[in-house]
Amino acid sequence: MSPTVKRKSENEGEIHHHVEQLDYQSPKKLKNDGPSTFELQLQKMEAESEKMVDPVSFWNRPPLPKINPNEDPIIFQQIEIDDYVNIKNNSTAEFGSTKTMEPVIRFYGCTEKGNSVVCNVHGFYHYLYIPAPVNFKESDLPAFKEALSTNNDVKKVEIVLRESIYNFHGNQKSPYIKITATLPKQLSGIKRKLEQGINIPGFGERGFNTYDSTLNYDLRFMIDRNVTGVNWLECPPKKYTIRPKQECVSNCQLEIDIGYEDLISHEPENEWSSIAPLRILSFDIECSGRPGIFPEPKVDSVIQIANVVTIQGESKPFIKNIFTLKSCSPIIGSHVMSFENEKELLQAWSDFFVKVDPDVITGYNILNFDIPYLLDRAATLKVNRFPYLGRIKSTKTEAKDSRFSSRAYGTRESKNINLDGRIDFDVLQMMQRDHKLRSYTLNSVCNHFLGEQKEDVHHSIITDLQNGNAETRRRLAIYCLKDAWLPQRLLDKLMCLINYIEMARVTGVPFNLLLQRGQQIKVISQLYRKAIEEDLIIPFMQQEVAEEQYTGATVIEPKKGFYDCPISTLDFNSLYPSIMMAHNLCYTTLLNKQTIERLGLKKDIDYIVTPSNDMFVKEKHRKGLLPSILKHLIDARKKAKVDLKKETDPFKKSVLNGRQLALKISANSVYGFTGATIGRLPCIPISQSTTAYGREMIEKTKYLVESHYSIANGFPHDATVIYGDTDSVMVRFGVQSLEEAMKLGREAAQFVTQHFIKPINLEFEKVYFPYLLISKKRYAGLFWTKTEKYDKLDAKGIETVRRDNCRLVQNVIDTCLRKMLIDRNVEAAIDYAKQVISDLLQNKIDLSQLVITKALSKTEYDGKQAHKELADRMRKRDPGSAPNLGDRVAYVIIKAAKDAAAYEKSEDPLYVLEHNIPIDTKYYLDNQLSKPLMRIFEPILGDKAQSLLSGDHTRVISVAAPTIGGLMKFAVKRETCLGCKAVLQKGEKAVCAHCKPRLGELYQRQIMQFNINERKYARLWTQCQRCQGSLHQDIICTSKDCPIFYMRKKIQKDMKDNTNLIERFKFEEIIQCSKTN
Amino acid sequence: MLEARLQQGSLLKKIIEAIKELVTDANFDCNDSGIALQAMDNSHVALVALLLRANAFEPYRCDRNLSLGISIANFAKLLKCGANDDTITIEADENGDSLNLTFENETGDRTSQFELKLMDIDSDHLGIPETSYDAVVKMSSAEFQRICRDLSTLSESVTIDCTKEGVKFQAVGDLGAGNITIKQGASIDQEESTTIDLQQNCSLTFSLKYLLNFTKATPLASSVTLSMSNEVPLLVEYKINEVGFVRYYLAPKIEE
Repeated sequence: MSPTVKRKSENEGEIHHHVEQLDYQSPKKLKNDGPSTFELQLQKMEAESEKMVDPVSFWNRPPLPKINPNEDPIIFQQIEIDDYVNIKNNSTAEFGSTKTMEPVIRFYGCTEKGNSVVCNVHGFYHYLYIPAPVNFKESDLPAFKEALSTNNDVKKVEIVLRESIYNFHGNQKSPYIKITATLPKQLSGIKRKLEQGINIPGFGERGFNTYDSTLNYDLRFMIDRNVTGVNWLECPPKKYTIRPKQECVSNCQLEIDIGYEDLISHEPENEWSSIAPLRILSFDIECSGRPGIFPEPKVDSVIQIANVVTIQGESKPFIKNIFTLKSCSPIIGSHVMSFENEKELLQAWSDFFVKVDPDVITGYNILNFDIPYLLDRAATLKVNRFPYLGRIKSTKTEAKDSRFSSRAYGTRESKNINLDGRIDFDVLQMMQRDHKLRSYTLNSVCNHFLGEQKEDVHHSIITDLQNGNAETRRRLAIYCLKDAWLPQRLLDKLMCLINYIEMARVTGVPFNLLLQRGQQIKVISQLYRKAIEEDLIIPFMQQEVAEEQYTGATVIEPKKGFYDCPISTLDFNSLYPSIMMAHNLCYTTLLNKQTIERLGLKKDIDYIVTPSNDMFVKEKHRKGLLPSILKHLIDARKKAKVDLKKETDPFKKSVLNGRQLALKISANSVYGFTGATIGRLPCIPISQSTTAYGREMIEKTKYLVESHYSIANGFPHDATVIYGDTDSVMVRFGVQSLEEAMKLGREAAQFVTQHFIKPINLEFEKVYFPYLLISKKRYAGLFWTKTEKYDKLDAKGIETVRRDNCRLVQNVIDTCLRKMLIDRNVEAAIDYAKQVISDLLQNKIDLSQLVITKALSKTEYDGKQAHKELADRMRKRDPGSAPNLGDRVAYVIIKAAKDAAAYEKSEDPLYVLEHNIPIDTKYYLDNQLSKPLMRIFEPILGDKAQSLLSGDHTRVISVAAPTIGGLMKFAVKRETCLGCKAVLQKGEKAVCAHCKPRLGELYQRQIMQFNINERKYARLWTQCQRCQGSLHQDIICTSKDCPIFYMRKKIQKDMKDNTNLIERFKFEEIIQCSKTN
Repeated sequence: MLEARLQQGSLLKKIIEAIKELVTDANFDCNDSGIALQAMDNSHVALVALLLRANAFEPYRCDRNLSLGISIANFAKLLKCGANDDTITIEADENGDSLNLTFENETGDRTSQFELKLMDIDSDHLGIPETSYDAVVKMSSAEFQRICRDLSTLSESVTIDCTKEGVKFQAVGDLGAGNITIKQGASIDQEESTTIDLQQNCSLTFSLKYLLNFTKATPLASSVTLSMSNEVPLLVEYKINEVGFVRYYLAPKIEE
């Protein structure tokens, strides 16, 4: 290679010394000079808690108080339910021994004192209904049972009076046959037989539609006995028996048996709304890895497991410990247990787990990584007693693949792990369900919700730390403990557990089902609960994909523009629920022509015809089920809101708030349930009537407001409705002051409400001032509810909230909107946008701002997609760090040959950073920034907006040269003048002859730049040190989500370049000095 | 202050046409010896080096070194405003932010003036050091263009083998294979006859897409020189009538 190239590399080495020395050092050098902030937190906790005697003594649950079954009731909060078949050996003198099988419902729970309970409920059998054939009599039952039964699976048949939920029948109940199965799982066989047809003596061969036949046994029991999710159950004295220790099948402290009719279920109201002191275990594991390969349980060992156990409702964990492989220096406030052998470690952890007996298990991605990994690892090492983590001693814990698909939550692959009697609550899954984020790494989630970052240690470094000494392992242990503690803090902060418990209580769905299933189960549970009160039964419906599409909500054509006057917004609160209630829309009130003729009903007196030409009977004939469910939900929400206002205790407040939110979501999902064509019980007439009413109401509101608030009626201005969507209308009353706009808004809401049936309620909610209306579903405005101060900047459908573009777009649009709407300074917004574009073209924008993320949701895409192609390319480079299915892939667009497709230009941001690959700034300008910018500026600037994208500020660009790629290893850089960019002649180092007089000035400029960069770098470095919690340790974090990380890397590179430039002046000086000499 | 008058305006047009596919924005470096440009294409696989010596212009005046940042696409658009026979005068001020273009027709009764806004392009000045090559092939530029065009129907890449006998271009693709061999002195016309100056046999593979882009320079010269050494970038040079050249460098394709 030519000598010039050599010199360059030497230079690099030197600079490396300058700048890099601060960065990553080999772990052998890692020293611990002082406690980190996280350690200090641990220390503080230690100091606050009482002196520890033996940390292991905390593991056990509080001892069981003495119980007298004849006097003491057993009251506990159930957290999970399952069932099993009890085989009883009945030996009688006459028949010898016979076996009888009996289904048993099993509740797991926790008492107020924190004791764990298993409650076996006996005597409840699963059943379904079929309509009784015409002329079917009691006397036909034995023959019917005979015909239906095989292998003794039918326990009982009886005739009962019930009514189908579908259609209005004139309030007439009809005879149905209730068929009870011997064992719950036999019910589906009975159902199949009935549907296929059986031969009943005297009635011939015929098939039946089954009713109430899709419920599972546990849910059936809960509905029949009015048990909701996670409520309190009471076993009254004298009714239950306590199992002797030797007959216990579980690890729980108390096992009892009770008949199902004796079990009392308490509605989660008042005193029963509390939550038992559940034990929550949050844990995290670390595995050693090999370079470039993601840890595999068959090969890579588990080196640390950190645990944090908290009691629900308490702010501090009472157990913090860590199991480490090989020695580990003590960590203050935490119990460190070291093992030389991995098998011992795993077994010790399993013992710990069983002893602590957690009710809730949480962590980050534990269901798909930590638990399966531990199970697989234990199997590989043949730690045979390990996989018994459930509460039933004999059941082995296994991970099974499952797939969850829902309209609302998308498709996710996950593992199902049976932990009998425990709630598994993976914070990652909850995040993916409930929060739309750009990235779901623990780091970025914590940053988002807790406002703090954590280190992200690459798995290849973990091995180095493990192979170091007790101190480096301590370093890792602190990191691991933090990872175990953060999910717990997220739970507390977001009050997830409380919200989910409230949701389970309100909808009556068991806790574990809430995370595993979608929205439908909640509505089904409520529907059955209401139906059973009125002797209604629900038919089984074949799921069919209906082509039918009904018209959705209406949107009033927006009058686009920038409104520098107050715009009042009127909202229908809970629009769809209130329509269904107002018009009595329900399965039970749906009418068809035949019924109308048969019962001689009259239009508008007995029934109504909806705008979509469906007919429903009026409330005086039958009150619908859905309206009463909705009323229950809405009333409960109102009550919860009232209680919330009165409540002072912050914990109870959070419970109530969780409850009112759960109620709101539930009420809204009822409408969706009737419209879900592939759902359990679709009813298009209900959903299409609901939306049709909604459309009518929006139109009517527009008409009412515009005709009433007019100059003709004595108002100073003609009001105009500038936009309306689904359940809200935006009105310009023409007034200039906020006060007037609010007053008129309130009046108008009342005025319009009078024209609608109760409980439909139009409410004045807010005023937008100023207001930028871009198009349908896209607008932004300053949000006012009181005249003193605006509440927030509200933007809908604008890039600030979307995830499929880079952060730069979001920031620019957000800042521009702020400048426009809050500061009312359009000029400043334009200048800002121009500045950003200029910075972008000069490569001054942080790489983290340019990262685009997209979920890798399927393995095969039609056509090539940027993120999929990149994932494939990354897999070739390093299969370990490549994104997997379901992950969000982060990429940036790089420069490539002309006309290259976008998918060829995607690249891993870290790779780009390492190799200095130039960013395709033009792409970001044309494909990312231009449209959103045009959208917000066009209503204000009109045609002039275009100048934003092509003005003078776009004429300064910077082109970076990468360190890799075709020609780069052959190319030689020639120095250009630092003053005028002319190519330098031989002998010139910094500036050309022409610029020589400016040498001093240019040198100063470089030094200044260097100083700025140096300061910036120092600040970033301390930022990272703070984040990792120690000022004395090196930074090993390589978090891809952290903007600081990119900035740190970038500034590091800039400084390297800077130093190079300054170096060039040295020669000038020498030359000058020699000249003067 | 730069002032350069080019009698044959069409020359500048041809030059810009020859590089605009590869380079979007670039600095034109002007000094008293002439105007030069060096730029890499976006994917950093090819490099363009252009030189127009001062004697190409009449008159030529450049008081001090100047670096003019020009958007090639926009420059090409403005050049289209002049007719082929027009004389073109380029003027730029030292600290100005624009480039003035003046077109004069042959009879001198029509002059048109345009102004192109300049850009401030901050880029590294990259070049390929001069080396001696194992094989230097001089051949008809039209012939080279045709070879590239023909082989590009077969494959995305071409392998060039240089031996004493001649130079062989080979392409293998899905639909078939093809090779074209040019022997020394095959053409009768002295100007366009093929000469091979060979130190050592060599065989290299290149992307045809880029070679096709290079042949956009064919109107500039009747002959083209290909200089090759194993595992070193190919140099394709079009000489412009003793007043300058357009050189292209292309990294060899490395077998994956």
